[in-house]
This record gives sequence, C-alpha cells and structure tokens, in this order.
Amino acid sequence: MVKYLSNEWQAEVDKQLRAHLSPEKMNNITSSMNNRYLNCPGGGSKFFFVSFADGKVDKVLVGEGEGPKAEFYISGDYEIFAKISRAELGSQKALMGGMLKLKGNMVKALKLASLSDRLNKIIATIETEF
Amino acid sequence: MKFENKGIYYIDYPARIKAVQAEMAKNNIDVYLGSRLRTTSWCTDAFFPWRSFIVIPSEGMPTAFTFVIDAARALDDSWLDEDHVMGFAPMGGQDQITQISDMINELLPNGGRVGVEAGMSNYLPEGYLTYYEYNAFKEAMPDCEFVNAHEIIDRLQMIKDIGTINRFREASRIVDVGHEAVLAAIKDGGWKGMTESEIAGIAALAMRKAGSVWEWSFTGGNEIACGYRTGLAGGACTPATCKEIMAGEPLMVDIHGLFGLACGDHTHNYLIGPATERQLWHAKNFVDIVALTLKTYRAGISPSSLAEEMMAFAEERGFSDFMVPGFEHGIGMLGDEWRIGRHDGPFPYWTDPDHCYAENEVLICAMQYACPEEDIGFRYENPILITKDGCEYMSKFPLAVEVIN
Repeated sequence: MVKYLSNEWQAEVDKQLRAHLSPEKMNNITSSMNNRYLNCPGGGSKFFFVSFADGKVDKVLVGEGEGPKAEFYISGDYEIFAKISRAELGSQKALMGGMLKLKGNMVKALKLASLSDRLNKIIATIETEF
Repeated sequence: MKFENKGIYYIDYPARIKAVQAEMAKNNIDVYLGSRLRTTSWCTDAFFPWRSFIVIPSEGMPTAFTFVIDAARALDDSWLDEDHVMGFAPMGGQDQITQISDMINELLPNGGRVGVEAGMSNYLPEGYLTYYEYNAFKEAMPDCEFVNAHEIIDRLQMIKDIGTINRFREASRIVDVGHEAVLAAIKDGGWKGMTESEIAGIAALAMRKAGSVWEWSFTGGNEIACGYRTGLAGGACTPATCKEIMAGEPLMVDIHGLFGLACGDHTHNYLIGPATERQLWHAKNFVDIVALTLKTYRAGISPSSLAEEMMAFAEERGFSDFMVPGFEHGIGMLGDEWRIGRHDGPFPYWTDPDHCYAENEVLICAMQYACPEEDIGFRYENPILITKDGCEYMSKFPLAVEVIN
C-alpha cells in the first residue's frame, strides 16, 4: 500500500506504466498531461505529470504546486481525483459535470481519450491509501 | 477536404489576416473576436455551420473555435493548422466561453480592447454575438474592454480579390450547367407530372456533378416556384414544394451552387405553354427591365439611383405596380449574403440606398416581378461584378422567359 501522490506512489506508477504500456498500445504518441490537485488535505495543491515520447513512458512526476508545462492540464479538487481513483466517480462524468477542468486542444484530446482510459486503468490497480 | 487554393482561384488568406491586424492596430484593438459566418468563411476558407468563433490576435495566426464534433472536419477543410482549429464541448474548461476567454486572457494578461461583432441582420445565420455570449465573455474577461468592430471585416470584404472573383465565375458556370439540366428535363413535355421539388433535385445533381458542393441558400436550397407561387407579393417562394407543374402556368427556377465558398445564384423563368398574350406581355416587361438593369450597373451609381431609373422605366411601360423596388442584394463568401456595402445607411444593418458602387464589388442583381392577382411572377438573380463602365454578369444562361410547349 502506497500513499496517494507520494514518492512511493510515483515510483509504483512509473514501474507499472512502463511494464504494461508498450509504444504500440500508446499509439506511438508524444504528449504530456498534468493533473493539478487543488484543495489537497493539509492545504495547497499538488500535481501528477506524465509524458510519453513516441509511445514510450518518458517522465512520471509528482510534487507540490503547479508542476511542469504539458499539452493537457486537468485540474480539480483533490477529492474529485481521489473519487475517480477509487472508482467512485467516472472521469467522463467529472468532466461533463464541470467537476474537473480540461485545458488543451479538445480535438487532440478526443483522439487520446481511450489512451487516457488505458493509463488510468493501470494506475487504478496500484493499492493506494488516500 | 481542402479546396485547392491555387491557380486562378488562389486567395491569400495570411494576407487577409494581416490586413485585419493592420486595421485592428489603427483602431487600437488588441484582439478581434469574430462570430459571424461571413467572418469565419472569409478568414479560414472553410464552412463553419455550427456556432463558431475566430480569435485574431494582433499578430500571428488566428484560431477558430467550433463545436467539437465538427472541428476535425473544419480543420481538414481550412488552411489553418491543428493548433489553430479548436473544438469546444460541454465539459469543464472546454465550453466556448472558457476556451476563448482563457486564450484571450493569456494574450492580454493586463487586459486590452477586444473587438466583437454585435449588430442585427435580416439574415438568420449571420452570427452576431448574442446577449448571453456578450455578458458571459465580459464576465470571463473582466480586464478587457469590448468594442464593436465588425466594420473592419465588412470594409475588407467589400472589394473582391481576383481569386474570389474567379471562384464566383466558376460557381456561376456550374449554376448554368444546372439550368441546362432543368431545361433538358422539362422541355418536350418532360415537365408533366414533375414537382417543384423534383426540379430542385435535378438542378442539384447536375450542379454537384459539375463541381458544386452545396445548394447553399439558407432560404431553402434551390428555390423553385410554379403557378401562383411565382407571383406572391414580395416575390419570395422559398423553399421548393411538392406543387406539380401545370400547363398554362409560369415556372421560376432559382438555383444555387457553391464553389470554394463562392455562391453561384441564377434564376431563369419559363411559361409552361400554352402562354396567353397577357402572360407574354408580363414576360416581355420583365426581360426588358432586366436587360436595362444589367446595362445600367457600373461603378459610381447607387442602389437608389438605379431603382429610380428602373422604376421610371417600369412606370413608362405601365408595369411598375408589379415591380418590387429593389434590384440587388449583397453577396460574398458563404455567409455574406445580405446587405450591400457597409452598415452606414439610414436604417442600421440594412443596405445604404446611397452606397456608391465601386469597381470589383460583387453583388447579386436581384429583381422580382410579382402580380398576385394574375398568379404570375418572375425573378432574376445573377452575381455581377461591378466594373468601371458597366458590369460583368457571371451566369451566362441566356436572358429570356422561355415558353415550354
């Protein structure tokens, strides 16, 4: 069991993504996404950043504050992300309901929606303490 | 699929954007936020049928925003690249107000003047900013001042470049192909049992085979009228109906083809025989006044001076009661279909009757002859290019009211 958004969680995400996502499965994309967690427990904000280069996992980062620049940003309350990770809330519903805010080219995002689901499913297998 | 923007049909879109940006600078406008169909067509070379916007910064590329389902198609049609055609959707951060205001707030971190398109139109798809949109944008961009700026685009659109003119010429050639197909279908008794709607379809198929991609008119595609519907007061008949063509009645065929967003539009009229002497008298009146009108158009005249001259001719010949006293409507790339010139006449957002025509303006010579009491009427429409000493009428289908026996 690792703590959500901790360095241990980051290392486990990195390991699992590299193990389960081949460049072919990721359609050889080059892209990046930064999830920004607002109103975190204890205050402040955190980020989870993941990038791919030609389909290969490039960087997996977590930390305090806004995090690095990315092609897509998803921002929302920590609790909303936590609910999604616990499978209590669908990410589509969170976006459609305005609980999460996506910033980036929507046309490109549409093409990446299934890849994002693939990534989230792998992350969801990590035993996490919220 | 992109229109092949080359050769005689080439339009220098980056130069158009630079021209807008130069006008923005003169008017102290930091960002232009366009919302009208005429603006998106003229700036992008693509058709934006859903509610759409275009953000033109003070320098660099513009960005178009449209409903997400159609954004990839619009991108495929436009000269803009993937980073400059955005789709909006009802999603956190992805609705049109948020997307556009995020972009403008990033362009103007300390606020600035945003030019918008506000006004009214007789043409439903015009696309002026709505009350709701205006207030929502103001709220989302509290540091920006909003000013009405559509005049910039209107001024730049008025005089047509050679690529646009050539696209209109080709659109008009295509429309002539449609008219030839209609004539071939209705002659020698072919009209029997045919409806207005079928004629609209025959013309559409022929024009599409010849290169048209749409019967673009928002008034109902191809406008066909027969019998009493040709003579309705005011002269409109839109759209084609299932009314059957009958012997002894007039038939009006107003068809539209689209080529490179240039709008072909020509009307030809028939009398389905046997024609009475009275019908032939009406027909001669109409053909004569159209011929005189085409002969009269030139740079330097105005809609009102032309109307006065033509109505005097009609009065002298004894048919002024049947003439609708307007002889043209505006035209440009798709979405620019209403008033002539700019919006500076006595009635805001209507044609200025004293607008002075200039060389290389394109308009539709549009005339209506309507006699409801006798169930007869005719229409003439043809895109014309104003020249120094006259006009070039782009559809070449011979002017006549043909009797089909």
